[in-house]
Amino acid sequence: MRAAVLRYRVMAYITGVVLIVLCFVGIPLQVAGYPAVANDVGVLHGILYIIYLACAWILSRKLALATKPTVIMLLAGTIPIMTFIVERWVTRRFIKPALAAQPQPAQPVRP
Amino acid sequence: MENAAPATPAEDAAPAPGGPVWRFLIQPRWVGWHVLMVVLFWGMLWLGDWQFHRAISGNGLSWAYTFEWPLFAGFAVVFWAKTIKDEFRIKRGLAPGTAESAPGLDDLPVTVRAVQAGTGPPEEDEDPELSAYNAYLARLNAEVKHHGRWHGWRS
Repeated sequence: MRAAVLRYRVMAYITGVVLIVLCFVGIPLQVAGYPAVANDVGVLHGILYIIYLACAWILSRKLALATKPTVIMLLAGTIPIMTFIVERWVTRRFIKPALAAQPQPAQPVRP
Repeated sequence: MENAAPATPAEDAAPAPGGPVWRFLIQPRWVGWHVLMVVLFWGMLWLGDWQFHRAISGNGLSWAYTFEWPLFAGFAVVFWAKTIKDEFRIKRGLAPGTAESAPGLDDLPVTVRAVQAGTGPPEEDEDPELSAYNAYLARLNAEVKHHGRWHGWRS
């Protein structure tokens, strides 16, 4: 569970950062006539998004999420900045209650 | 088409007494989801095909997307199958056959549903302490649900 949370968070941040670079650096450069950044970062984001999908999916199963939050979580990796917002929301709304509900937490729960 | 319905829902639902559990699959809401999934599946395959044609006509970049789109399409099918499977589990875990008589269920946070599903069959879970704890968790989650209200997330 904690490993799944960590994997999801790491991928959410990496994918989010790469997507921001793609949208706010790559696309303007492409419009300006330098498509190299958008091409490379675009492919990189495509690959990272697949990994993000897998991580988010595994976590959503462990949290027993309903369809709607799961879809929001999975699609967040395609919308700039969304990964960060959704990661915070998922943490507060689902991850913390789920970790608190675990009978024997590996570490003391934060106050 | 092949992803619109689980392979053998009737066979899965057969042991449930008091009416077939798979009925929920033909509710309008679920039919809407089925249709959406079919459109998404074929749409993503079509995008993959489009990228493939771009790739063979010289756009080297499109090779990555040629494989990516079918992967997403496959993922959508897995997602769909798992969602239906989970729904079966939840509906059976609660009072089997009385799913229709629990209209408020969909309004509960998923975690409550999960907790309720987990404690559904009373013959498997007679420990009063555990039941009380689960009820406490359910209440806690119901409260936590409203914390999202002011952040624009209500689901």
